[in-house]
Amino acid sequence: MRLSTLLLVGAAACAVAAVAGRASAADPIGKGLTMYMQMGGNPGDGATLARQTGAKQAAEALGVDLKEQFSKWAPETMIAQFKEAMAAKPSCIEIMGHPGSAAFHDLVKQAVDQGIVVTSGNAPLTDLQNEFGPKGFGYAGVDLYAGGALTAKAMLAQGLKAGDEAAVWGKFGSAERAISETGLAETLEKAGLKVERLVITQEVDSDASLGVPQFAAYIQAHPNLKAIGTQHGSVTGVMPEALKKAGKKPGEIILGGIDLAPATIDGLKSGYISATLDQLLYLQGFIPVVQCVMTAKYKMPGLSLNTGAGTVTPKTIDALTKLIDAGIR
Amino acid sequence: MAERSEASWLQRFEALPIIIVYALLLALFMYLSPGVFLAPYMYTTFLSTLPPLILLATGLTFVIGAGEIDLCFPSIIAFSGFIFAVLFKEYELSWLAVVAGLASGILVGFVNGLIIAKVGIPSFMTTLGTQFFWAGMATVLSGGKSYALRGAEESSVWQWIVGRPFASSSVDWLQQISIQALWTAIIVGFLWLILTRHRFGEHTLFIGDSNDVSRVVGIDVDREKIKIFTLMGFLAACAAIILTLENKNFFGNQGQGYLLTAIASVLIGGTSIFGGRATILGTVFGCLIIGMIEAGLVAAGLTGAWVRTVQGLIFLIAIIFYMYADEPQRRRALLARMGFTGKFGGARAAGSEGTALKRTKS
Repeated sequence: MRLSTLLLVGAAACAVAAVAGRASAADPIGKGLTMYMQMGGNPGDGATLARQTGAKQAAEALGVDLKEQFSKWAPETMIAQFKEAMAAKPSCIEIMGHPGSAAFHDLVKQAVDQGIVVTSGNAPLTDLQNEFGPKGFGYAGVDLYAGGALTAKAMLAQGLKAGDEAAVWGKFGSAERAISETGLAETLEKAGLKVERLVITQEVDSDASLGVPQFAAYIQAHPNLKAIGTQHGSVTGVMPEALKKAGKKPGEIILGGIDLAPATIDGLKSGYISATLDQLLYLQGFIPVVQCVMTAKYKMPGLSLNTGAGTVTPKTIDALTKLIDAGIR
Repeated sequence: MAERSEASWLQRFEALPIIIVYALLLALFMYLSPGVFLAPYMYTTFLSTLPPLILLATGLTFVIGAGEIDLCFPSIIAFSGFIFAVLFKEYELSWLAVVAGLASGILVGFVNGLIIAKVGIPSFMTTLGTQFFWAGMATVLSGGKSYALRGAEESSVWQWIVGRPFASSSVDWLQQISIQALWTAIIVGFLWLILTRHRFGEHTLFIGDSNDVSRVVGIDVDREKIKIFTLMGFLAACAAIILTLENKNFFGNQGQGYLLTAIASVLIGGTSIFGGRATILGTVFGCLIIGMIEAGLVAAGLTGAWVRTVQGLIFLIAIIFYMYADEPQRRRALLARMGFTGKFGGARAAGSEGTALKRTKS
């Protein structure tokens, strides 16, 4: 082969490589993927906003076409939305774990058999993770029991002692979702506190402000109450209002909750909320999108990320306020 | 004259305006998301998710057509669902659990009807109260717990009520067709005949027009109202059993999301909120719109906050379109207000003599 031909071939190869390089640099890694994602409650609410932000920013960064679904935390809506998502034949679906493994099993199997990557968030579906993990079924959310226990320990550190009365409001009976409140209640009980478990109704679950009168009434009816715990983000936000309505001063009752909604920040700043579990909702939105891309493109198995990293107290809240207002923390 | 013939053309086919709205919406979604709405999978999904809503809305069509309201049915879904689930799972009573679930819904509906007709408490207040009562009972009895019906698909109850008759087909979308769509179609078709061809349907609309006139012409209003609310209880129990079996799970709060969607389906379908006029066909298409709208908007790429805004807008457009398409006098009045008095002349204010009076005369 003559030198000029070699040079021409070499130049063409360089040009193709350059164009290919530029093209691959221009195309984000998740381009062409569509993902349906269950966000939880209502658009923009305190227990949902940071998850939306995380998912949106991950989708933009990775080039994924993201479709958001909101269920007001109703399990049967989550199931119906999963069916609708599956009918749209997307690349990936992220589900909330609230309906439980038994309710989701056959549907997830059907989706996985069709080649759809399914992953989960917020409440774990351990059985499904064990079965479909190799096909990309991961989990981004708090290790529920440990998260509840962490909140309880933060409450105990504020001066609670054996024999004190405590109330824990939770979604008791709601499949795996109740594990976090169980962790909270049992940790308080192990420390010698007398704990009463109270069920959050569906109405309060969807709109926590509806629960203020009943919370206030309970607090007034139990003058010896020393602590209140919950692992419900919106209930955490409205509980300071209930304490005010019941005539309690900041710090008079140790209140431990979850999430960093705007109302929760006010509660922390005013001293009504003593500690709140930061479950890093942003990551609960961001990581499933990454999981979708990693599995759909690179066949990576499901990853499990415990986002229950620690608690925020009145002393540590100020540094986070701007990020919370931006819907990130 | 031309307008009169146009009006009769629109009114000749039951629920035609809402069917047109549905077709336009479907065409829009097909255009925006062809990959989703030109494929069969979304429609087979609707066949499994919409039957409970359609059954509830069909019952409500009778209730609202009679000038009443029922707010209790979400609680019947929870209560009857619990009765069915606990007997099916804990006591393995199979078809007896189905009978008990249906009986519990019928009982609640009958009690509602009794309070409304015999005690004389307005249906809004009665069913608001019983709604809380039966939801509370479901929570108390279940302890707020869910029941997972593991292995339910092996039972004849599951196979017959929510099974997949074409599961062995080689065509994948055929495999997903669920049999509850067939049962729902049969029940709704039967009730359509009752409403449009049977004396009970005629009495229902008479009562909706005017209780007093109905009594004058010899209708036993109390008995008919009890029947209407009992029917609603039965249909809510049917929905509860279908929902529980389809999800293979009883959730303590199940049914709570159906209240407004079922009422909206009935109203955008063309049933008058004042009673006296009801259309089951319109209700079915109202359900199809309600069921399709969120899936369509999400598939089209609308983000969360926009979905509800557009949903509300579509509801309003559907209702306004229906009213003006279906009621010539209202359309004439609007056109007159806009200055179109020539060709569209003869505009009169909407509403003339009552329908019940007209029925009496006929």
